[in-house]
Amino acid sequence: MTTSLLAAPPATPLAAGEAPTLEAFGLDPWWLILAKAVLIFVFLMLMVLFEIWFERRFMARMQNRLGPNRVGPLGLLQPIADGLKLPLKEDLVPRGVDRPVFILAPALATMPAFLAFAIIPFGPTVSVFGHQTPLQLADLPVAVLFVLAMSSLGVYGIVLGGWASASPYSLLGGLRSSAQVISYEIGMGLSFVAVFLFAGSLSTSEIVASQERIWYAVVLFPSFVIYAITMVGEVNRIPFDLPEGEGELVGGFHTEYSSLKFGMFMLAEYVNMTTVSALAVTLFLGGWRAPWPISLVDGANAGWWPVLWFMIKLLLTISFFIWLRATLPRVRYDQLMKLGWKVLIPGALAWIMVVATIRVLRNEGISTQQVFFAVAIVLGIYIVASYLWDAVRGNRRDAEEQEATAAERAGAGDSTGGDPMAGGYPVPPLDAPHYHGRNSTSKEVNRA
Amino acid sequence: MNSQLLAQSAVQAPHIEYGQLAPMLIVFGLAIAGVLVEAFVPRRARSAVHAPLTLVGLAAAFVATVLQAGTHHVAAEGAVGVDGPTLFIQGTIIALAFVSSLLIAERRPDTSAFVSDAASVPGTQEERESLVAGDVQTEVYPLTMFAVGGMLLFPAANDLLTMFVALEVLSLPLYVLCGLARRRRLLSQEAAVKYFLLGAFSSAFFLYGIAMVYGFAGSIRLSEIALAVSHSGGNETLLLLGLALLGMGLLFKLGAVPFHSWKPDVYQGAPTPITALMGSCTVVAAFGALLRVLYVGFGGMQWDWRPFMWGIAILTMVIGAIVAITQADVKRMLAYSSIAHAGFVLTGVIASSSQGLSSTLFYLVAYGFTTVGAFAIVTLVRDAAGEANHLSRWAGLGRRSPLVAGIFAFFLLAFAGIPLTSGFTGKFAVFAAAVAGGATPLVIVGVLSSAVAAFFYVRVIVVMFFSDPNPDGPTVAAPSLLTGAAVAVGVAVTLVLGVLPQPALDLAANAAAGLFVR
Amino acid sequence: MTPADVVFLFLGAVTLGSAVLVVTTRQLVHAALWLVVTFGALAASYLLLTAEFVAWVQVLIYVGAVVVLLLFGIMLTRAPIGRSEGLDSANRPVAIAVAAATAALLVTVVVAGFREAYVELGDPPAGTSGQMGASIFRTWVLPFEVLSLLLLAALIGAIVLSRREIQPPGESSDERPTERPTGPGRG
Repeated sequence: MTTSLLAAPPATPLAAGEAPTLEAFGLDPWWLILAKAVLIFVFLMLMVLFEIWFERRFMARMQNRLGPNRVGPLGLLQPIADGLKLPLKEDLVPRGVDRPVFILAPALATMPAFLAFAIIPFGPTVSVFGHQTPLQLADLPVAVLFVLAMSSLGVYGIVLGGWASASPYSLLGGLRSSAQVISYEIGMGLSFVAVFLFAGSLSTSEIVASQERIWYAVVLFPSFVIYAITMVGEVNRIPFDLPEGEGELVGGFHTEYSSLKFGMFMLAEYVNMTTVSALAVTLFLGGWRAPWPISLVDGANAGWWPVLWFMIKLLLTISFFIWLRATLPRVRYDQLMKLGWKVLIPGALAWIMVVATIRVLRNEGISTQQVFFAVAIVLGIYIVASYLWDAVRGNRRDAEEQEATAAERAGAGDSTGGDPMAGGYPVPPLDAPHYHGRNSTSKEVNRA
Repeated sequence: MNSQLLAQSAVQAPHIEYGQLAPMLIVFGLAIAGVLVEAFVPRRARSAVHAPLTLVGLAAAFVATVLQAGTHHVAAEGAVGVDGPTLFIQGTIIALAFVSSLLIAERRPDTSAFVSDAASVPGTQEERESLVAGDVQTEVYPLTMFAVGGMLLFPAANDLLTMFVALEVLSLPLYVLCGLARRRRLLSQEAAVKYFLLGAFSSAFFLYGIAMVYGFAGSIRLSEIALAVSHSGGNETLLLLGLALLGMGLLFKLGAVPFHSWKPDVYQGAPTPITALMGSCTVVAAFGALLRVLYVGFGGMQWDWRPFMWGIAILTMVIGAIVAITQADVKRMLAYSSIAHAGFVLTGVIASSSQGLSSTLFYLVAYGFTTVGAFAIVTLVRDAAGEANHLSRWAGLGRRSPLVAGIFAFFLLAFAGIPLTSGFTGKFAVFAAAVAGGATPLVIVGVLSSAVAAFFYVRVIVVMFFSDPNPDGPTVAAPSLLTGAAVAVGVAVTLVLGVLPQPALDLAANAAAGLFVR
Repeated sequence: MTPADVVFLFLGAVTLGSAVLVVTTRQLVHAALWLVVTFGALAASYLLLTAEFVAWVQVLIYVGAVVVLLLFGIMLTRAPIGRSEGLDSANRPVAIAVAAATAALLVTVVVAGFREAYVELGDPPAGTSGQMGASIFRTWVLPFEVLSLLLLAALIGAIVLSRREIQPPGESSDERPTERPTGPGRG
């Protein structure tokens, strides 16, 4: 059934080395599809192992340490040792948890992360055992929407894991993650819109094809910046790792998990990191196309070479994640929300307006330079004005806030006690059953 | 990619007749301007900015409507029909919204009808603090304008999808506004929740109806539905059920009888200016939409829907009039009276002729202005706890404040349909149209229930003028310029349409002559 | 019966079954999860009807946002694990009767209306994003734009009902918490 969704009528397959179009999909024999699916799975698993090692070594370098270097050459086998150790630990399921959901949650977190990779193009059309096939499992006319849908499914694992654990830290982690992922997904979706406007398509292969001349990270730089921020928020990594913030929530949503289930959450996090990085490469960094000076070489974008370019770009994006982790502290919850709702979303909307206007004006025959000039002037005025506004208002507000906190301190000690919305941050009611461990409701579960 | 790009540039921009949509666009623009005012104007100055903005904007929208007179055109890619009856209804809605806005704008600290801080829990220290601080929830202005914009689109919608969207746009702000009364907030919040739940329910019915009708006709354009109806043969189950469900959704908004149960509670609980808005504008808009659906989309099957509408009209008139007798609260009584009047208007709808259409239009104008005036008076009779709505508190009002009681009595007589008031002219017009349309039994029921209705209107007059005043009874607040103007407009229109109805009747007849555009 | 028909019937059964479980389960969070299954099966039906854009939007909005917000709301208030009392009411038989009657009516009407009708999906299928876009931004542009106003109005309404006025600083903010009722059922 799916094949008929992927592409309309059979068209002539393209020659090797050419950029595939949507028509090129859905023609593979079953064994090729299976092989691609298995390869993607294996690739992602290997990437996870590599990322764990890479992250530890890379961060260690940044911190003037050596990192793991005992198991295998350069410590390369360390992740495998870790990976073997983790499932062999005792699998604890605390009493009072919602068992089916508790077990389902890690699987729910992992699956969408793998699925989303199906539409990532690794390269152009190549020849495999005589079959011309694109290096991509599947492509949809709405492929990027599919990625968004999958990442929105991934949040279930975290939310449900947090809830089913019957522990306040886990619940808080689940709460935070649901709020965070929803907020950042809006920004992420909006950052794609400009790409769609320029590419005229939602299909990943066509988006890559349309970046033949110049990357969207250059043309649509604001979109790229917004995506880069939201992708970190989407995968819950530092500085946005509030759902599991060790310093404040012990481990957040996975506090109560151990052994293989915990391993699956870890797996999901790293696979997610790979997926959003691959998406960044596909949508903004030219996909599998060779970077500029190399692209001048004849044949750089043909055959199996593009896989190499893709991998290089992917690794660079992943090192960006690690760099962030080594550099930035965790933000506060309200800062996170403020950034998401008051900066990224309005910024993305304004930028989409600009892009759409430019597109329309270009269709009307006005040159891009003129448009950019006008836009630059307007933006400049806006930035200066908003800066002045903030400077004036911000000073006043800061003074007021200081006064208020001083007054509060002088007054009652714990002014937020018992308030479910303490100061505007979502906190479950403190008399909720979870806060007292075993309670009447959990006993009922045991009886039932 | 290239093919996609080509396809993209080949998409033609839709053709929008901005001039013909001007009334709606102005009102929606007002709503957005209101939101901007909320965002950028300091709290204390907001009311002072909102009120003139709203009134001037509505006046401009009215002018824009009048300028469209004579248009007979389907605008905005077929989504909106701009024609005589629609423009008449839109003009009526804007005028009534203007008068209601006068009441909404009434903002002396102790008489504002709206809550100080909607998020505070009733009866808490927080609420008291915000009351003392003199806060008011100024968001009512943009919300009202959103609702009015939806009301303007509702009768103009030429396809069921646009009509549904308009229905939601007009309903959603009203649900919120209902819960914003300053006094007796629990009652008000209860009313809002009831209205919301039942309204959501009726919206669901409406949507189901759209789905059924689409299943039959293969389109949701009213004109194409009409075409499908006229060519239909054989199985009409889908069509009939679809129409029934659509009708439920529309009749709910008018409060016709099996679907009226929300009306007394909501009218009583809502802040009185909002009750005035709902009692006048919403009813007018809902009748406009009902007329368009029945006349344009299902005109070809009037033999199918007329018996049902007969039943509904009879039930509405009789039950509205009879239950009103037992009411002891002025706003509840006016709610039941509004139900009964919906029944009277339905008799004009059933006539399904140009005459029926024009008489319905006239009735809506007459009834709308009288209603706004009557609710304006209700806001004036107050005691320490706010408005004194219980009828026993109104005893002897005629002796203490003869002018206010006299004006209210005049409105009640207009509701009752006594000659020399607009109510008489309106009733005469719809009943005449119904007789001409062959609905004589309906008219007899109508006349009888008018007589029953007259009983309770007169009862209120008797209570006001012929019983002893309560020593600690309510006082009549001196009407400010705004409320005074609202009352004056109500009186003037009621009187003029009663004494010199001909110009207005001619206008309605002119508007109705071209019928709805298809 | 083609394979597509079989899959469609299967999806219908899944939708129905999970919808029944939504209203019958005694556990609040499980009800939300069954709702996810219902929405997911609906999305799959859309896919089967070649309306892929609608299908993924269904997943994105309903599964990914609406139910997550629902869970968010549940967790912010009680989030009970295990059975909750009070999810049931004495009106159960009446509700069952009404639901059954409604279902019977709708099924009868739809069966009567479309007994033999078999709609070809067309080639290219009618649900592609290009066609959707063209029809939304041309034929249905007015309702589409008015919907944005509806959302704005809903947003304003929600803010009015839920956002507390921020008190001017220093105005007896230290004594207020003691007056606040705690627990659910507020505002």
